Amino acid sequence: MFKYWDLVKHLTLREIKARYKQSFLGLFWVILNPFFQMLILSFVFSNIMRFPDLGVPYPVFLYAGLLPWIYFNTALGASTDVLINNSPLIKKIYFPREILVLSSLLAKTFDFFLSSILFIALLLFFKITFTWYMLMFIPIFMIQFIFTYGLGLLLSSLNLFYRDVQFLFNLILTMWFYLTPVLYATEFFPQEYRWIFKINPMSVFINAYRQVLLGGSMPNWGSLFIGAAISVFLFTASYMLFKRLEGAFADVA
Amino acid sequence: MTSSNVISFKSVDKFFYLHHQKTLKEFVQAMFMRQKTLEHVKALEDVSFSIAPGESVGIIGRNGAGKSTLLKLIAGVSQPSKGQVVVEGRVSPLIELGAGFHPELTGRENVFLNGVIMGLSEEYIKEKFDEIVGFSEIHDYIDTPVKYYSSGMYMRLAFSVAVYVDPQVLLIDEIFSVGDAGFQSKCMKKMNDFKKKGVTIIFISHSTPQVQAFCDRVLYLEGGKLAFDGPTEEGIALYLKQL
Repeated sequence: MFKYWDLVKHLTLREIKARYKQSFLGLFWVILNPFFQMLILSFVFSNIMRFPDLGVPYPVFLYAGLLPWIYFNTALGASTDVLINNSPLIKKIYFPREILVLSSLLAKTFDFFLSSILFIALLLFFKITFTWYMLMFIPIFMIQFIFTYGLGLLLSSLNLFYRDVQFLFNLILTMWFYLTPVLYATEFFPQEYRWIFKINPMSVFINAYRQVLLGGSMPNWGSLFIGAAISVFLFTASYMLFKRLEGAFADVA
Repeated sequence: MTSSNVISFKSVDKFFYLHHQKTLKEFVQAMFMRQKTLEHVKALEDVSFSIAPGESVGIIGRNGAGKSTLLKLIAGVSQPSKGQVVVEGRVSPLIELGAGFHPELTGRENVFLNGVIMGLSEEYIKEKFDEIVGFSEIHDYIDTPVKYYSSGMYMRLAFSVAVYVDPQVLLIDEIFSVGDAGFQSKCMKKMNDFKKKGVTIIFISHSTPQVQAFCDRVLYLEGGKLAFDGPTEEGIALYLKQL
């Protein structure tokens, strides 16, 4: 993999640079887009439909869940398409194909960290206390990255064979969004269905982010462990499948 | 099969499945219409040959004879359905250049991108950058997005990166059809330099004079089968007779 580091770097830079070269606001869109989504949703859920007290202002609460979700969503969208978009390369020259998926993921990771700048501003604005627990955000993100990478490998390779995958997965994503505590807190969900959050890694990650960023404490280790185990398992299985299918990519791309 | 060969094919077959419906809708439609859902197509059949280091081999044949499939197998992007393909040494494909280019990026950015895709390190490209740009003759436009390049400039830049790869096996697929005569002869000269250095060259072209001028040996493919393997003159004569 080290041998291919330069390739990963330049493919990632290509994704980042190419996307913003033609737009006037360029990289600002990355920051502005989630921010405006947050403003709209905050307006709806603090003025039209009110949630009970969450302990922190709703915009901060929402943003802490919305940013990782948007990252998840856009990263999967990008990696689902990445093999199709690079079919000229796939047909001509060999390099490990997972590099394409990894680069599209890294480009979205760049966006994620860039858009997090406004989150920090929001923390300051609402006078949230900064604690050392916040640094736990990094390992949680790494687990989320492995989970997303695993799913990305799976979707990208299957989508190359059947384009239905992207349409089906978009549908699943919509459902997934509402089964993940992005807009609401876990406690608002009916007790008998809360087990869903335990087996839904995205919900584990978002709860953990909120715990360390806003709750000022350590995450729920039990849940996080399950989330990490699912992520590692998914990544390993997807990677093996991806490598098995890889030899046929050039024939179908 | 001796180990002194850089490339050896041993009774290689390659099948494709055509009419591979891309969506469920197409698939269901095809089922109702009683169309074939999968069609077995043989792109290569029982192909055996070996190429020694330093040979320059032309591959000729009509469209659809399996030339590009053969090249894909050598490049390692595609796997044989049957038989064995062994390739030793670093293979650099110069197939339809500029595959890694991105129109929005500048010439400079694309040189790096294309270079790392070809397997060069960033450091090596930095070192050779001026030479690469010098060879391409597009100094003034190197910081312009390549979407504003003429197709000739585009090809010149892509080719210039490719010749700095320092390959052991070079795959060339119809690349000299672009660029002006001056640049073409410059490319031909560079190819001859490679040949002198002992680089193995696999050359696909519809231009029989180019093959004749450049290759010592040709493989003539007909309908996926190897119809001739031998001296260039003889192979080309056979090919022209079949046209």
